[in-house]
Amino acid sequence: MNSLYALAPLSIIVLASIIILLLEVFLKKENKNYLGYISVFFLTACFIFCFMSWGKDYSYFNGSLLLDNFALFFFMILTIGTLLIILMSLNYISLMDANHGEFFALLLLALSGMFIMISSTDFLVIFLGLEVLSISSYALAGLKKKDEQSSEASVKYFLLGSFASAFLVFGLAFLFGAFKTTDILGIIDGFNKPTELGLLAIFGLGMVIISFAFKIAFVPFHMWTPDVYQGSPTPVTAFFSVGPKAVGFVVLIRILYPYWHSLFDSNVLFTILWIVSALTMIFGNLIALRQTNVKRILAYSSIAHAGYILVGILAMDNASCVFYLTVYLFMNIGAFTAITAMTKKGKEYVELEDYAGAGFNHPWIGAAFAVFLFSLAGFPPLGGFLAKFYVFAAAVKEGLISLVVIGILASLVSVYYYLRIVVFMYMHRSAGKLDIQQENPALLIVLFLCLYGVLQLGIFPGNILVFIRDAVGSLPF
Amino acid sequence: MTEIFLVFLIYGLLGVIMVLVNKILGPKKTNPVKLKPFECGSPYLQDRIYPVPIKYYLVAFLFLLFDVEVVYFFPWALVFRELGTAGVVFMSVYVALLALGFVYAWKKGAFQWEG
Repeated sequence: MNSLYALAPLSIIVLASIIILLLEVFLKKENKNYLGYISVFFLTACFIFCFMSWGKDYSYFNGSLLLDNFALFFFMILTIGTLLIILMSLNYISLMDANHGEFFALLLLALSGMFIMISSTDFLVIFLGLEVLSISSYALAGLKKKDEQSSEASVKYFLLGSFASAFLVFGLAFLFGAFKTTDILGIIDGFNKPTELGLLAIFGLGMVIISFAFKIAFVPFHMWTPDVYQGSPTPVTAFFSVGPKAVGFVVLIRILYPYWHSLFDSNVLFTILWIVSALTMIFGNLIALRQTNVKRILAYSSIAHAGYILVGILAMDNASCVFYLTVYLFMNIGAFTAITAMTKKGKEYVELEDYAGAGFNHPWIGAAFAVFLFSLAGFPPLGGFLAKFYVFAAAVKEGLISLVVIGILASLVSVYYYLRIVVFMYMHRSAGKLDIQQENPALLIVLFLCLYGVLQLGIFPGNILVFIRDAVGSLPF
Repeated sequence: MTEIFLVFLIYGLLGVIMVLVNKILGPKKTNPVKLKPFECGSPYLQDRIYPVPIKYYLVAFLFLLFDVEVVYFFPWALVFRELGTAGVVFMSVYVALLALGFVYAWKKGAFQWEG
């Protein structure tokens, strides 16, 4: 249905970020928390709007902006994710000397970039959204202006990220050369018809996939991840680990799914993605074993999780991928919230030794962190287990037995480094170094909400699965 | 199809060969100044980091912003009549966004040359 309503979620978010920017320069107050509350208000409004327009299929700009259920579902979970990240960072950014109102504005702008990427049906517009997302991300990574690691993260992310964007444009040029269109449906039509320019088009598609593989952090393109995750402020790291990853997978599903069979008969792309998935699971988990920095451990774990989700894509089961991304959002934001809590003025506790005895000194945070780590490792009553189960079950049904064996072995390896943090928290004597200044109700609310999400998705996933089936059913093919 | 890849192959090889030929045949007269990395006129090794005026970058950024804005006005002006009211609305939103950005930069002190 062609309607201006299609622009509403995007406009709400952009409006919020502009209001925040103007308030930031006109009302210079010491306590910037009110900017956070304003963004929470607008995010809630956006969430309610997305919920109301479920199933209405609003579109605008001749259909190049399409709010189908698939897009709306991701709008909603990313809005929730951003809301949680803003709540958890309220106290953190003032402790870390990163208390600029621009933090909230940049987060919202990055969210609007992700909205554009999710809801667009034209590759050039997706590129536009990618740039909005990336440029905000580069600034967010360097938010701790006086901190060397933060600046390093920013520059590293900027240089490599622009390189990846160049790959997208280059691939797009090849696709346009082959099919004379940048519209996703047009490109799909082109792939389904045999042409003499097929090789050119596959080359272009490969380039496009590389650029999203960078955002998602698949293994040959993962080099930036640990450094950027370590250097960025912790809430921003949480954002990087769920937001761009989810959006990358959305675009992959949109472009790959419809002509899966015609492409995979040629077997080239399938083999390449198979190898990438196996490498991502193996390398991510093996390198994480050697890390002693908790943020780096979670960085490598996020690489490994990308590999598991790719198994779902190879099994052609979109619902399991979407479910995995939803669970991953809650458990990863929860884990990073616990790390955010381990902070005092100007100092973050991110080494494993710092966590010795934390489980007894800070029982709530420690217990919640342990639950999130169990969920990431994939223990049964929690969301992480069901997510992995759905993905691997779909893969077994498609006959990808060897990939599933690799995945299960890799996730067995991952249990070691997740539980290592738990062991440090509960079985090592406290060195008394950890004194944290985070008696913050907002942070505890985030911990509680993520805990609720992980348990709900692990024990009673039925309601959400109905939503996800509905969302995946709205894809055009 | 193969022609396209041949073109890439030939011109790629040509580039490599030209660099190699230059390396092999070219005269090698060097002096210390010539071997230094080019560093925009300043000495490349200093005993400490001197502050670089960042104001030029800000001015360049703002110039670019409004320069690009004008570029979008040309196609808009060509189809102005066909677009009707919607065109006016969209362009006003666009200009308003840029103007708000300008106000933000102003209040942040992007135009204060001193201090």
